Amino acid sequence: MSTGDTLDRLTSGVPGLDVVLKGGFFKGGLYLIQGTPGTGKTTLAHQLCFNHIANIGPRALYVTLLSEFHARMLQYLGGLSFFDESKLPDQFSYISAFRVMRDEGLSGLAVLIRREIIAKKVSLLIVDGLVAAQRAADNDQAFNEFMHELQGIAIATNCTVVLVASTGRDAKHTPEHTMVDGILQLSDHSFGWSTERALQVVKVRGSDYLRGRHAYRLTQHGVVVHPRIEALLEEPAIPDKANTERFTSGERHLDAMLGGGLVAGTSTLILGPSGVGKTTLGLQFLCGCSDAEPGLLFGFYETPARILAKSHQVCKPLVGLLESGAVEMLWQPPTKGSLDACGDRLLAAVRRRGVRRLFIDGLGALHKAAESIEREASFLSALMHQLRAEEVTTVSTLEVNTIIGPNIKAPIGDLSSLAENLVLLRYVELRARLHRLISILKVRDSDFDPLMHEFVVIDQGVVIDESPQNAETIMRALVHDDAASLPPKRQPPAVG
Amino acid sequence: MATVLVVDDEFGIAELFDALLVDEGHRVLTASNGKHGLDVLAKELPDLIFLDYMMPVMDGAAMLRRLAGDQRLRKIPVVMMSSIPEAAVAERCTGYVTFMRKPFNVTDVTDLVQRLIGQRERLG
Repeated sequence: MSTGDTLDRLTSGVPGLDVVLKGGFFKGGLYLIQGTPGTGKTTLAHQLCFNHIANIGPRALYVTLLSEFHARMLQYLGGLSFFDESKLPDQFSYISAFRVMRDEGLSGLAVLIRREIIAKKVSLLIVDGLVAAQRAADNDQAFNEFMHELQGIAIATNCTVVLVASTGRDAKHTPEHTMVDGILQLSDHSFGWSTERALQVVKVRGSDYLRGRHAYRLTQHGVVVHPRIEALLEEPAIPDKANTERFTSGERHLDAMLGGGLVAGTSTLILGPSGVGKTTLGLQFLCGCSDAEPGLLFGFYETPARILAKSHQVCKPLVGLLESGAVEMLWQPPTKGSLDACGDRLLAAVRRRGVRRLFIDGLGALHKAAESIEREASFLSALMHQLRAEEVTTVSTLEVNTIIGPNIKAPIGDLSSLAENLVLLRYVELRARLHRLISILKVRDSDFDPLMHEFVVIDQGVVIDESPQNAETIMRALVHDDAASLPPKRQPPAVG
Repeated sequence: MATVLVVDDEFGIAELFDALLVDEGHRVLTASNGKHGLDVLAKELPDLIFLDYMMPVMDGAAMLRRLAGDQRLRKIPVVMMSSIPEAAVAERCTGYVTFMRKPFNVTDVTDLVQRLIGQRERLG
């Protein structure tokens, strides 16, 4: 019940939407869902109804003005998990009010709606096809009066009323916008060859909400909203802690180069060209996992089968950890899902198992999923901040486009906000031979080894030469092109 | 030729019946809810009624009860229609002769009218 000075909330039950609305709709409120055709307005409206009767209120009524046939709507709904045919007709029913509106005008429509809410004890009402009502109005004043009457009906009956309206691409500010308690705008956005659906709360009276656009998907379970991570995590719920505990990187000499391993709760970015050994190094990092310190591999480009095969070849200890479940593998195809859906999935997997070591293989996939550089930077910054706050030690790989050569250009800007530690792997081509070199570019608040080291990828994984001598010789020869300065035949770095 | 009453709130359904049955030589009366349907019946008795279940003001179940309680009206065969399964309708309605699930095929409508009108004529 309302306490008089506060209004009761009505949770939508739509994943992510109540987070965006910071608690859901207000009972007895008048809301507008608007969007271009095909954005899922009708699906969302039905989802609200079935969630409502399953969890909250006794009855939902769906009033159509001039929209799809009810039978066709039910056929489409049949494939959605929230739809429960047994709720029809007692808890959920349809009526068409078009004829009444056509014959008796908007005042007749308002009377019909009021009577039906009272007679059927409806606690959630959908009116689909508001545009038809707008067209039926003699003028703006008549339509405003109808909207005002609807608001009065919603308040007097404590029935939440949701209006559904189809709009053009450029939804203009229309009279109904000022008359409703809240507006949800659904839209489809193109960037490059991709499109992404976005929900934006344009207005909610009496409540804060997450502003800006939020990605959503139309799934078998209906609408799933992925609140924009940087908006969601604007005020982190968990304060960031300054850790001193160190984790092994999985490579002994790399630990030494980093000044004693990776500080717990920090983020490390391994940069390098394709095939240089970034993923192998990440897999080695996960070898430090146990049941007490669970790990997660969140990969974009290599399927679980390929990761497993690679583990058998270059990181055998990981095979047992994957089999025991101490390390979980999640594969996110880079072509599937929005940035926020991906972030949601990652954070959910981290929280589900209390992950302490996270390896994100192929951070560049998020770069491609982002619709703009600004969005990408703020998303990644918020995600990494949250991972730090949840005390997850993260290692990510990022491919650079330059295969060989001194000029390395990272595809993502503002690396310092993403990672405390930057590790660069590179190929160096000298005469007819390809060498691999590793160097530390940055370790925040700690001393580190500034020298390059040569490394090899063998069946024990990435093995770094403890001495910088080979790297020094290679670089010197590269500069002077002095073959005589090269050792006649170098041994691979000592293992162990 | 028969007179058929179609009681359905949904815009487009009665219009479809009208287009189909007039072409077959029948007359079609329409009403947008049960109460309106009773008003029509007060003026004219059809040979057959197509009655939707979910409607505002007075739904199909309530109208069917009113028909059953009226000696003059109870003899008119009623076809219940709905987009929900017949089992759900049958729990709440009695006295209809057959059920037609929406969406239906146009030939279902014309065949049904022909069959029910034929039966009615044979029974006198």
